[in-house]
Parts: sequence; structure tokens; C-alpha cells
Amino acid sequence: MRDKSANRPPLHEPDLALHVEDLTVTYGERPALWDIDLDIPPGVLAGIIGPNGAGKSTLIRAILDLVRRSAGHVRLFGHPYRAQRLRVGYVPQRSSVDWEFPTSALDVVTMGLYGELGWWRRPGRSERDRALRALEQVGLEGLADRQISELSGGQQQRVFIARALVQQADIYFLDEPMAGVDATTERAIINLLRELRDAGRTAIVVHHDLQTVRSYFDWLILMNRRVIAQGPVEHVYTADNLRRTYGGQVALLDTGHDPAAL
Amino acid sequence: MIPLLSDPTLHTVALGTALLGVMSGVLGSFAVLRRESLLGDTLSHAALPGVCLGFMVTGARSLTGLMAGALVTAMLAAFAMVFLVRYTRLKTDAALGIALGLFFALGVVLLTHIQATGGAAQAGLDAFLFGQAAALSRADLLPMSSVGLVAVGLVVLLWKPLKLLTFDPEYAAVIGLPVRSLELLITLLVALTVVVGLQLVGVVLMTAMVIAPAAAARQWCCSLHGMVILAALLGATAGVLGGGLSALIPGLSTGPVIVLVASVIALGSLFFAPRRGLIPAWWRQGHRLSRTSSDRVLETVYQLACEHGSGRYRVEEGAVDAYHGIATAAILVSLRERGLLEAVDHMPDEGRHWRLTNEGMSYAAARAGRPDEAIGV
Repeated sequence: MRDKSANRPPLHEPDLALHVEDLTVTYGERPALWDIDLDIPPGVLAGIIGPNGAGKSTLIRAILDLVRRSAGHVRLFGHPYRAQRLRVGYVPQRSSVDWEFPTSALDVVTMGLYGELGWWRRPGRSERDRALRALEQVGLEGLADRQISELSGGQQQRVFIARALVQQADIYFLDEPMAGVDATTERAIINLLRELRDAGRTAIVVHHDLQTVRSYFDWLILMNRRVIAQGPVEHVYTADNLRRTYGGQVALLDTGHDPAAL
Repeated sequence: MIPLLSDPTLHTVALGTALLGVMSGVLGSFAVLRRESLLGDTLSHAALPGVCLGFMVTGARSLTGLMAGALVTAMLAAFAMVFLVRYTRLKTDAALGIALGLFFALGVVLLTHIQATGGAAQAGLDAFLFGQAAALSRADLLPMSSVGLVAVGLVVLLWKPLKLLTFDPEYAAVIGLPVRSLELLITLLVALTVVVGLQLVGVVLMTAMVIAPAAAARQWCCSLHGMVILAALLGATAGVLGGGLSALIPGLSTGPVIVLVASVIALGSLFFAPRRGLIPAWWRQGHRLSRTSSDRVLETVYQLACEHGSGRYRVEEGAVDAYHGIATAAILVSLRERGLLEAVDHMPDEGRHWRLTNEGMSYAAARAGRPDEAIGV
């Protein structure tokens, strides 16, 4: 699990938190992602928006080497992902785990430190304290010893987030963190992401709710298997771009009015 | 009794079955948590042709040769399953079934062929179907325990990667763990467990040894290490008890007796374990029932009637059950006996409904502190 960075390739676009070029991913015979070019500067709270089937989750998974790339390359702060896994935190969609596994919330968060500990070292007191602090950040310190099967949906989501936070990564990828959580949890999550951004970290969030995009994010990427538009949210969130992204599905926006009025 | 306890055969059997129980508990925990319980089934059935081939190659019933053959065919079946899943549209369960059928049928064909043509050396080969502890010799213990030590040792050594892989394989991949290699390792270790258990429990029932101790332990433990340790203990207990019983009573196949003991332990855990067992859950329900006073149930019906603005409002029993978290039928009936509620029917596809009587309305209103307020009729 340790990075073997003895033979690093030369730095490529080190000033960007995320640089993606020509990324293509194929499922079966059709491309799920085609010719993706992305440049995200550090210290922003970025949202990735698009209709169902747009490949948003696939994009995150391709960046993290969970899915094979047919073409293109990815650099994080100038380096390939494999060279610096510990600088990257990942919060997947909740469904990827069996919640009947015998473990407590604290234990799940501690597992976030396994990458740092390597294959042999066992987690000790300092790891336990860091995990507790991460649980405090998401407001779950009272549930540290609770079995995960007894947690509510919003609490489970926050445990996943704490697991990523405990790494103190420089860049976080979150795949639909607000899906299926209540309003209080959603507010807590977005406040947490804002704190990360204010501390200079970068957060990239796949989001599903158009209504909240403008208030949540500073940076926006609109995609539908290709990138339609990307940049600061005020420039990108326009009726024209939304129409091109959602095709016929957002015909209601074709009013010529300011989208903020909707 | 004393002569029995010092019987060297019993010692051998006890050691062998205890070892098997520990391995089954430890590796079975991972198989069960990864939802690959039936992998043990396929691996054990696929070991049969390997045992026969091992016999045909070495010409004698030497356990090491048979175990080696068994391991080879078991792993071949595992690869066949992976191949089918990856390159065809088959899902894991169907692929496991196909591999199992193919290899086990081949094994039975080989076995009957050997029994028809082989000499005295093949006697006892069919003991591998259901296990025969009495056939275990002191010399057999050495290869068995070496394999067992290696398997359990690897699990302890690779504890963190295996735990992470079992809980969240995707996260394990993100951290950089070699997921495919670790999964292959787990399969190999389960195959080793199956191979060790072949002589004692037999190919047909070995799958139960992989599943039952782990399933039992899960009911009691809330951490992975707790579950694995308890599963090892429960497996060893089942092994020693079952193996001992079958050695004492002549003519009993060992495999079924051990599996019976293990199954009783598993069922007992499912029924009686304090937090997750069925019986304690029923008791807690009953406890809650006795603590839910009839006044509170009446209050629920009353509040609903107030909210719907009608004293004649019909409340379905299921809604009252849901609010209080228990079956309230008995309480509602007792309220009817006191003249405070009456039972009515509503829609044909719904359950029984309840409605306040006039006495019930005044009673509930008085308790709520609003005796003069009349709800609309």
C-alpha cells in the first residue's frame, strides 16, 4: 500500500489539482466517456452535474483507477494517481458496502488509515484518536462504538465521509454524498465541504440536484459523456449550457430568463 | 471411561477434528462475510476427482498425495468459475453450480471406476464422501497441521488487507491493495480448509463446516476478530464432539455427526444469541407490550381522531401497531371490553379498524385535559 515513488514520471500540470486529458472509457462496445478534458484548480469546491447515464460516477472511478481507461491520462497536482494515493480521499456511493458486517463506526473510520499504516502495522492509540476526531467533524462522536448496521442512512453516509477525512487528504472525490440523506445531514455535509475548501483543500462532488448547484459550488462541470462546459459556476450555469447538457429533459429552461429566477 | 480417554485413536481424531474446526471457523468467516458461502460447496465437491486422481497416480492411500490431487482439482474448479463469470453472461451462483456438477460427476465416475478395477488398496476411498475419522492415522496429522498452521498464520499476518477487502473491496482497490491476488488467496485458503477436512467430514458435507461455525459466531460478535476467534472455537467444539461421538459409536460416519453438532450450534445461536437472536427479540417485544399502557393506545386513537376532526374517525389497527412498535391487538380488545372502543370494518383490503365510543371520547378527552371540547361528529 505504500507509494513506490522512486521512479516518478516528470511533473505534468503541477498547478492544477486535477488535470484530465482525452479520457475515454468504454463499457462493452460503446464509450461511456469520450474525450474528457478537465482542469480543476486547487482550493475549489467543484460540482459535477449531468443527467442519468452521463458517466459522472464512471469519471470518478476512471480517475481513481477503478475502471480501465481506453485512452487519456490523469494527473493530480502533477503526478499520476498511483504515486500519491494517500493525498486523495474517496467517498463512494453508499451501496458498495455490506452494512451487516460486524464492525463499529469508529472501526470503519480507522480503516481509512490502513493505507498509511501499510500491510503490517496495527492501528494504535494515535490512530484511534485521529479516527475519533474525524467522527467529531461529522458530528458522530457519540456513535463511535455503535454497530454500523444500527445507523441511519444519513449517519452511514457521514461515517463514509469521516473515513475519507481521517486521511487529511489534499483532494476529495465524493460520489453523490447527498443522495438519500435528510436535509439536516445535507446541510452538515455541505458545511463540512466548505470548511475543507476554506482550509485550502479541493473537493470534487458528483451532485444530482440542479436546484442547489449555484449555492453549493464555486466551480462547475457540466457533462453528458463529454464535457459540455466547465469553469466558475457563474460563467457555466447558463440556460444554454444546461440545455446542451440535458438535451430535451430541461426544455422548461428555454425561457431566455435568468436561471436564478427559476 | 478412563481407558477411552487415553485411547490414542481418540486423541488423533480429537486433534484432527479440532484442527479442522479451527480452520473452518477462520476461513469460513471470510467466505460467509464475502457472501461466497457456496464457494466452499463447489470446492469440496470438486475435490473428489482430485482424490481419485491422486490415488491413481500414487497407487496408494497416502494422505499427502490425495490432498495434493484434491487441491489441484478444487482450484481448477475455482478458476473455471471465475472464467465463466468473467467471459460469459453467467452469474456467480450459476457458474458455481456448473463447476460443481462437472467436477463432482467426474469424481464419482472415477471413484466407481477405481472401485470396480482397483485392488485392496482402494478400500476406504469412498470414505471421502462422508468422512471416516477412524481412518485417520497419526502420520496424517503432520501434513494436516502444517497446512492448517500456514493457513491460519497467513490470515493473522494479512489481517488488515483481508479485513478491508472483505468489508469494502472497492475502497481496498482505491488504497492500492492487490484485490485480485488477495481474492485468489482467500479462495486458495478455503480450498486448503476443504482439503484438510476431506478425510474427516467428506466432500458432500464439508460445505456445512465452512458456513455453520461462522454463521453461529456472527450472532454473538460485533467485531471481525471476535467473530473469527469465536468461529474457530465453535468449529473446534463441533469437530471434537462430533468426531469423538462417531469414533465411540461404531459404524457412524464422522462427517454427518460433526455437521449435526455444528448445525445445532448454529441454530442455537440464531435462536438464542442475546442481541440478534430470535427468542430474545420476541421477549423484548413482549416486554414492550406489557409496558405499553392501554391508556397510551387509547390516546393514540384519540389524537388521530382529533387531527381528522371527527370523533367517528376509524383508525386501522396496523397504524396503531406501527406507532407503538408492537402488536396492539390485545390492548385494543381490552379497551373494547371496557367500552371505550368499538371495532368496525372499512375497506375490504384493509385490516380491522377501531373507533372511539362516546364513553371513550369523554375518557380520552378528560385525560388529555380538555373535558369540555367535543370533536366534530
